[in-house]
Amino acid sequence: MAGVLEIQNLQKNFDAVKVINDFSMDVIELTLCCLVGPNGAGKTTTMDLITGRQKPTSGSVTFRGHVITGENEQMIARRGLGRKFQIPAVFRELTVRQNLEVAYSHEVNALKNIFSFSSRQCDARIDEVAEQVGLQERLAVIAGTLSHGETQWLEIGMVLMQDPALLLLDEPVAGMTEQEIEKTADILNTMKKTKTLIVVEHDMGFVREIADIVTVMHMGSLLAQGTIQEIETNQQVRDVYLGTEDH
Amino acid sequence: MTINPYHDKRLQWVAYAIFFALLALVPILLDDAFLLNQLSTFGVYGILALSLSLCWGFGGILNLGQGIAFGLGAYGMAMTMQMQSQDIDTNPIPPFMLNNALESLPMIWEPFWNTGTGIFLAVAIPTLYCLIFGALMFQARVSGPFFAIMTLAMLSAFYTVFIDLQPYTNGVNGISPPMPLEVGSLVVDPYSTTSYWIVYAVLLLSTVVAKLLTQSKFGLIVRAQNNDPERVRFLGYNVAVYETLIYAISGCMAALAGMCFTFLTQYVSPSQFDVGFSISIVIWAAIGGRGSLLWAIMGAFIVQGAQSYLGDEFLNTWILILGFFFILVVRFLPGGLAGLVELILGKLPNMSKQQKSPGEKPVDKASLKEA
Amino acid sequence: MDPSVVLSALVLGISIGSIFLVAALGLAIIYGTAGVINMAHGELIMLGAYTTYTLQTFLGVPFFLCLPLSFCIVALVGIAIERLLIQHLYNRPLDTLLATWGVSLVLMQGVRLIFGSDPKYVQLPAFLSTNLDLGIVNVSVFRIFVVLVAALLVFATWYTFYRTRFGIMVRAVTQNKEMAASFGINSGKTYMLTFAIGAGLAGVAGAMFGGLNIVLPTMGMSYVVEAFLMVVSGGGSLLGTILASGFTGQMQSIFAFIFNDTFARFLIFLMVVIFLRFRPQGLIGSGDTRR
Repeated sequence: MAGVLEIQNLQKNFDAVKVINDFSMDVIELTLCCLVGPNGAGKTTTMDLITGRQKPTSGSVTFRGHVITGENEQMIARRGLGRKFQIPAVFRELTVRQNLEVAYSHEVNALKNIFSFSSRQCDARIDEVAEQVGLQERLAVIAGTLSHGETQWLEIGMVLMQDPALLLLDEPVAGMTEQEIEKTADILNTMKKTKTLIVVEHDMGFVREIADIVTVMHMGSLLAQGTIQEIETNQQVRDVYLGTEDH
Repeated sequence: MTINPYHDKRLQWVAYAIFFALLALVPILLDDAFLLNQLSTFGVYGILALSLSLCWGFGGILNLGQGIAFGLGAYGMAMTMQMQSQDIDTNPIPPFMLNNALESLPMIWEPFWNTGTGIFLAVAIPTLYCLIFGALMFQARVSGPFFAIMTLAMLSAFYTVFIDLQPYTNGVNGISPPMPLEVGSLVVDPYSTTSYWIVYAVLLLSTVVAKLLTQSKFGLIVRAQNNDPERVRFLGYNVAVYETLIYAISGCMAALAGMCFTFLTQYVSPSQFDVGFSISIVIWAAIGGRGSLLWAIMGAFIVQGAQSYLGDEFLNTWILILGFFFILVVRFLPGGLAGLVELILGKLPNMSKQQKSPGEKPVDKASLKEA
Repeated sequence: MDPSVVLSALVLGISIGSIFLVAALGLAIIYGTAGVINMAHGELIMLGAYTTYTLQTFLGVPFFLCLPLSFCIVALVGIAIERLLIQHLYNRPLDTLLATWGVSLVLMQGVRLIFGSDPKYVQLPAFLSTNLDLGIVNVSVFRIFVVLVAALLVFATWYTFYRTRFGIMVRAVTQNKEMAASFGINSGKTYMLTFAIGAGLAGVAGAMFGGLNIVLPTMGMSYVVEAFLMVVSGGGSLLGTILASGFTGQMQSIFAFIFNDTFARFLIFLMVVIFLRFRPQGLIGSGDTRR
């Protein structure tokens, strides 16, 4: 099995603080990897470093054989890397349909898009994705008026519209009700049949439901990696993480 | 779900059609050359307001220096017209240059011997300027208020340079070409229906282009980046390119407006680069409704119409009132008059209820904020 | 090159820099604290000049007393603007800019209606109107005075914002409004006072510029664009603004010596545009502020 994403000796310093310290990990194709760790462990920073939002101090990120460190956000996104943000980022003034339409980014050339008014493939894809995330009845609604859970699903839908090979989801179930979490777990379990996913999550119950592999970060470094059973029995992890997190 | 007729795409096109049909009646019904010229000038202001609404209302790019593209276009046209009354053998140098002790025609004036080249340059130079300045700023991710300030700084820079380069621009006195514009055998008399129709055509063309732009995928992405540029970047789009293009298209329209302005007034001066003039453009678009192309044009008509109706003796008081009104609009009615109309139409009993049979794919009528 | 020419260009540069700085100081603290770009700043400077003119001409107040009085009166105007308008727009940065632009129009037009469009003059005390001969260079005493006042104002501002309890509150609110609120800091009041100080500084600037130049309703415009550029290229901080003003003042002086004043101004604007292309966060400041 090939590694889709390889992170090697990643380092990020803010002044004297090492936020990410010699962090390495491999993500294997068609698996769902959960990135967990206490607050401040560097999970979101890792996401930022992978997707080009921040530049690492040293180390490299390789995606499908290409070194992507140093490339900007849109270049990395075009390589097939989609991201959902921790604070849901949707276009609040646009409708759900328009949000998905923008996210259908197969053609990024601005000049070509001036002469593009509608696309059958895009409409078909919107219907498909909307059904997948359960928003098919809400397409005409302005995104700013969606509930919190629906906004999360919309953003997941947007990442799907991009049709990336690798999806990075930052806390997809934060602030969701039990039913919503369950539905999200179903969505993700369907998705991982065709996609590779990295999910940053706090909720260990949710992690148990979806994860193939769990990577634990602590103080910017890799603490442990393995299946959920291995992680839950790992004494080191229990000490630094599970012991402090009530769930 | 209730449907606001304001958002109905078809009704919007109908509203545009009625608006332009009414404007087409003006030269047929009106028999006053002076008034016709004035109304043509309002048309020019309409194009300007439209261009700003495209860039600011849709793209979220507040351009406080729209006067730059307008002024460059106006100067380009003035230079073209000036050279039409010069003769290459007997009288090659415009009089004001002789007064400024220039002995030969400056290089930058040479291309304007040819009317076609001159008109082309009058559009091309401002558009190119917008492309370069926009690319510089947007690639550095300068946006929002900072971009607005930089445009203001550039406006101020152009103003001082055009005054300073007296031998080339005639300084504060500006250029007043002695003869109306001639294109081939067509004489564009500023007080004729010809010039009205040219302005009308430019306004119509700009409006249709702008409207189509907002409905294209490009327009959708521009609106999306107005909401959240970072999100758009993470979807793989180069936001700077989109920003630069919408800014340059808007600048191109402003340049066309500037060219029309010059053949209507046969005069151009650095006051086109004056901050006050660019403030007016923002006020038109804000009062009419920055988010609506049609209402931005109406904003220019209403404000300038009221100003000329009140006359010069009230000008100072009028500007004061306008300032207060502008503040009130920004504070309480960011959508301008268009926002007011949208609100009222939304409150009307639901006229267009259930046009579609249930089960049909819902068409996103609520999607369009523009009119 | 003749050393005296270099020296006089240098001295002139310091003087120009100090004028930029005085004009930009109030703007910088309002932007740095509340994130508000106050487009009416130039007109507040203009109000300061007219305040001084009015106090002098109609009440016979001596010039030195006019400086603090201008501060107070314009600060009150600032409070009125903040309370009536800006406090409702804190989370809409572009609208704040527009609203204050509207205010600038109203102030300019209001002053024009009251005082007319003809120039007014601020009378300087006799000893400030003289020139000082330093051997190789000849400087106007008033320009030296402006440099000294600039230094004093910078010190007072620094002291207020970095050495007093109020300053700590301001910086707490700037960093995290909600967190500051939970410690009982009233962010609304903090913003209001900051705005008042910023406006007051514009008032003092106006009082001095009235002595440098003629007083006109449109005078604000000529200072405000440069002031904005100082704040933007400085990165919005006090130190950044000082550095930017000092540097730009020298450049303006040098370019003006080589070309002329207007072309120098144009070159400076171009330089700022190009500088921002490569350092959009300004001289000092983090990249995030611009997002």
